[in-house]
Parts: sequence; structure tokens; C-alpha cells
Amino acid sequence: MIEILLIPVVTAGICYILPNTRLIGYVSAAGTVVLSVLSIPTIISAISSPIEMLKGMLYMDALSGYIMGLVIFLGLASAVYSIGYLEHELKSGLTDITWIRRYYALLHLFIFTMLLVTVANNLAVMWIAIEATTIVSAMLIGFGFRKRALAIEAAWKYIILCTVGITFALLGVFITYYASAAVTGTEGVLNWTALRGIAGRLNPSTMKLAFIFILVGYGTKAGLAPVHNWLPDAHSEAPSPISALLSGILLNTAFYGIMRFVSIVEPSTGSGFTGNLLILFGLVSIGISSIFILVQDNYKRLLAYSSIEHMGIISLGVGIGGPVGIYGALLHTLNHAVSKPLMFFASGKIQSHYGSTRIENVSGVLSSMPLLGTLTFIGTLSLAGTPPFNIFISEFTILKAGVDKGMWLVTGLFLLFAVIVFYGILSGFGKMLFQSAKEQNIASPETIKGNPFPLDFSSSGLPGLLSNAVMLLMAFIIIIFGFTVPDFIDSTIKNCINILGVK
Amino acid sequence: MKNWIQAFSVIDFISVGILLTAVAMNALKRLESCVRVYTLNSWLLSLLTAIVAFMIGEAHLYVAAILTFMTKGILLPVFLRRIVRQIKLTHDVEPYINNALSLTISGILVGVVYASLREGIFVTGFSRNVLQISIAVILIGLFIMITRRKALTQVIGLLFMENGLFLAGFSLTFGMPLIVELGVLFDMLMGVIILGIFTIQIKRAFTSSDLDKLTILKG
Repeated sequence: MIEILLIPVVTAGICYILPNTRLIGYVSAAGTVVLSVLSIPTIISAISSPIEMLKGMLYMDALSGYIMGLVIFLGLASAVYSIGYLEHELKSGLTDITWIRRYYALLHLFIFTMLLVTVANNLAVMWIAIEATTIVSAMLIGFGFRKRALAIEAAWKYIILCTVGITFALLGVFITYYASAAVTGTEGVLNWTALRGIAGRLNPSTMKLAFIFILVGYGTKAGLAPVHNWLPDAHSEAPSPISALLSGILLNTAFYGIMRFVSIVEPSTGSGFTGNLLILFGLVSIGISSIFILVQDNYKRLLAYSSIEHMGIISLGVGIGGPVGIYGALLHTLNHAVSKPLMFFASGKIQSHYGSTRIENVSGVLSSMPLLGTLTFIGTLSLAGTPPFNIFISEFTILKAGVDKGMWLVTGLFLLFAVIVFYGILSGFGKMLFQSAKEQNIASPETIKGNPFPLDFSSSGLPGLLSNAVMLLMAFIIIIFGFTVPDFIDSTIKNCINILGVK
Repeated sequence: MKNWIQAFSVIDFISVGILLTAVAMNALKRLESCVRVYTLNSWLLSLLTAIVAFMIGEAHLYVAAILTFMTKGILLPVFLRRIVRQIKLTHDVEPYINNALSLTISGILVGVVYASLREGIFVTGFSRNVLQISIAVILIGLFIMITRRKALTQVIGLLFMENGLFLAGFSLTFGMPLIVELGVLFDMLMGVIILGIFTIQIKRAFTSSDLDKLTILKG
């Protein structure tokens, strides 16, 4: 398990000292490939039986393994996509070699901090790791900030709001420690494994208070409304590969912290308390984001609001609870972690081609760039929740869990908001994909000279091929998961449900 | 000595000092004095930790006191003062609401905290007042962050919140395990350094460190 944590740190160090842009890119991609290959045996063994290390400081079970697998997969995808993206930024004069070195070093440190969140057993260490993800990713959002004032604004908002939010989460951790000290009689405990053993005997009202602080704190980081204000800015101003990581997995690592807490709070307070709060936060997130999706004129912000919506759906699934609800939520985590990065990768290419992030300035993507257009179309349909794509399956599972429990109001509102989102996303991206191309928007050879954005990098050389391969793989996963959930994912999720103690 | 500490209720005395330094932030106009008040607040916090360590004879609390003093009492103030000099901004802080009103509001905050936590669910070890004071300091820090315009005053508000949080953790459980304290301090140090870098960048990009200028991103 230690080697999994060390590889990204070593890769970060190597990337920081190499001289050549392309070389750094390939080394960083190779680092993530090594990480993926070496982590497979550990993840597989953790899924079947939990592993503990360093006197119980580090702990890995099916749930850690599941989230860790997503972190590593998206780290790989994003490192591969970054090669072409950064070369393009360099050619456009938006950045320089110093910043590229920092970018790759920070990218791998970011992956390291997220991996640490998944394997931390001590809840305070998990808090430290989550705060560390904020610090590292704030630098990535402000990447190249000497030239872009908007990115500074977004990064400032991000780090201030998330740090304040997470400060409250630390208070929640302190209160949990206090509650556990009352049970053990001597020193408190903070290890999740130890807390789960005494969870039933913790003082219910103390744990309720702790959970509220945790939910608000980590909820800020997970992008749950109404504490989501940093999210649209950060996601739309960050470089595309970073937006993909933020949206696809960073939000989920914060929500992973909430899920770990739910499993130790529930035995003392009963499932009604945590469930109702999560349902409330979930529905508010879906509702608020659906309205903003409807009126959005910037496609990167539209995707950001869609992330709030999907985090809301995951929260709703965990809130409804029961094996079916949790199954849907965990499946949705994976589906969203594949569909959203695909869309951010695609929108990075669209942005580089059209030089704008406004929907009205982009048209005819499908006819001018068939491959990219098709991939975007698949991603759009998936995000909107159209059958037969992956997200439809998980949303339907959560809906079924709600209906089984007879929560008619909740499921009704969820359906209503889902319809609004469906229309908002399809109309936004539909315009970009299908509207006939306006002359001035096509980067034809004559207009390139004056255009600060040279012709799209999607087709240029090996980096372009690699990024296309990654996007094709993601689209492939989207389609496969729309028809069937592969057996190993299915059994992993069922192990997670056992670990969370859901009955 | 231990009797002396209890007879004169030194612990309450110091924690009131921590509260007063936080309240004083509301009345200050110069950035340098804000940094100075924060320094005093951190010194009092580490002194309190050291005294409690002496009372109950816990070795790891001494270490925590020394660490707090080194980072919050020395490193951070020096760093903050350098930033104040670098952005060449020593004059007024221009809060959104005037000093008298903000002092009143922080007074009300303290009252509300005392009223609501009087018969709480917490039984704390060494003083009834410390938990109330710590929550009040957290809220005052948040209030400073909301009402101040300058990037650096927001950072100082955040630091006050963290000091209040440390005090809360300390009064609830006599301090966390050492590894946790270390990690939290390290995170905080890194966070402040990065916020400092961003403060300078904001000054450069917007030619002012007023956060009013940061309103382009909406909707």
C-alpha cells in the first residue's frame, strides 16, 4: 500500500526537474501507468479482505479500493490528456516551461493527496488529507495565474470557502473524539475501524452535532448546495484536465469522508437523522443546479452545475439508504466519474478550437469535428440521463430505492428536477453540436493567422492520438455500463455495502 | 504552583485574553496592528496549552504548546508582516460596517454563545468557560472574514477561526494526538503560504487587494 502512495510523490519530483515539455508529459503519463499497474493487486486484495498498515494508521477495504481505483484511473486519463493540452497552451503563449513543471508536479501531488484520503483510517488524518487536496488543487486552478485574473479570483474563492467549510468539519472530528473518550473512559479513539466497533454506544446527541458539522464541512468540499458557491468558478476557470479531476473525483473523495461518518453516526442516532439530512442536501443541490443549468450560457459552467446536480443525486441515494439506495449511489459515483471528465476533456478541445466558452460562439461541432462531436454527443446524452447510457441506470436504481421506501415527495421532486436538467443539458450542447456552423467561427486556415488559438490539437501527433484514445475508452465504458454492470464492479459495490453496515 | 494556578483561575484569565484579542480585531484599522493582535492571540493560546500541560503533567501537551508557539506565534506573523510590506498597504482596512457596530455585533455573538452553551451536552475538564470562549472566537473570526474587504484581513480572520478551533479541541479533549496536531499545523502553514502568494497575485492582477474587485465570476 505504501508504494501506491510513494509513486505519485516520486513522479512529481522527477517532473519538476526535467528540462523538456514533451518529455515531462510522457514521464508523468508513464508514472500514472506504473501507478495503475502496481495498484491493481493491492486493490483486488483489499476488496476481498481489508488491509491494515502502520499500526492501523492506514486501512484499506472495498470502499477505499473502489474510490482509489477511480482516483488512479482518472489520474491516468488526466495525465495523458494533459500532454497535448499543455503543448497547445505553450504554443498559444499562455504558459511557459516553469509553470509546466509546476503543473505536472502539482498534478501528481494532487493525486497523492486524494489517494491518502482513501487509505486514511484515522479520521483526523483523513481531514488533513482532504485539506491538503484543497491546497494543492488551488494552485492548479490558479495555474498560469500571471496571465489570467479570472483564474486567481476562482482560486481565491475556492481556497477561502473550502478552508472555512473544512474548519467546521475538524470541529466535527474533535466532537467525535470527545464522544469516543466518553465511551472508552480513557483516551478517545479516532480510527474508523475502532469507532465502528463502539459506534452503537456513542452519545446520540453529541454524534448528531458532530455529523452536522461534518456534513456542512465536507459538504462544502463535495459541492452540495447551498454551500457550493466556489464550484462553478473553480471548475470553469481551471485547466480542462484539472476540471476533469476536480469534478470526477475530488468531490467524491470529500463525499467519501461523509459516507465513512454516516456509518459510525447511524448506529447511535438511527438511520432517520443522517438519511433525512442527506436527502435534504441532495434535493436542494439538484434543484438549485437544475435552474442554473437551464439559464447557463457558458458550457464549462454548465458542466460545473451538472456536477452539483450529480453530487446531489449521490447524496440522495445515500440518504434514501438501504442496499438499493447505496448501490445506486456508489454506481452513480463511478458513472459520473467517467462521463463528466469525458465532457471536460471534450470541452477543452472545443474551447481551444473556437477560443470561447460561450455556447452562442460555438456551433456545428459535429460537422466540423466528427470524432470529437460524436464523443461529446455520447457524453451529453449520458449526463442528461438518457437511456441506454450509464447514468440512466444508476439514477433509475436510486429512484427505485425511493419508490420501494414509499418516499413519493422525494422521488417526485427528483423526477421533476431531472426533467429540467435533461432539457437544459440537451438544449445547451445540442446547439453547439447540431446548429449549422457560422462562417466566422470555423477556424479555417485563413483565420488561423490572427487567431490566438491555433487549430485544434485533437489531431496533432502522438499526444492527440493518446488523448483521443483515452476519450474513446471513456465513451466505451459509458456505453458498456448502460447495458450491464460488469461482475467485478457489481461484487465490489456489494462488498462496500457490507462494509458500510447497511441492512 | 498548581494551587496558585487554580486560586487565581489563571486559565480563565488567559482564555478571556484570547477572547479580547479576537474582539479587538473589530476595532483595528491598520493591517500591521491586526497581525500584532493575531500574534498576541497565538502567544496566549500556547501559554494556555503550556499551563494546562503543567497542571495535568502531559508531556505531549508541552510539545503541542511549543509547536503552536513556533508556527502560529513566530513563523506566521513574520510571514504575514512580510506580505503587508510587499503589497505596500499599511493604511485603513475599510470594513463594510463601521467599528462601533462590528464591536457591538461581536459582543452579541459572545452573549449568544454563552446563552446557548450554558447547559450543553459537553462536560469539559478544566474550565467551563474555555469551550464557550473558543466557539465565540470561531464565530468572531468568521465575522471578520465576512465584513472585511482586504484579502489579508480575510486570511487573518481565517487564522482566528483556526485558533478558536484549536482552543475548542483542547477544551473538549485535552488536545488531540500529536500526529494530528502536527498534520493540522502543517496544513494550516501551507494554506497560509499559498493564500499569501495569491494575495500578492490579486494585488498585481487587479492593482488592488480589495476583494470587491473579485466579482467577475457570477451565475
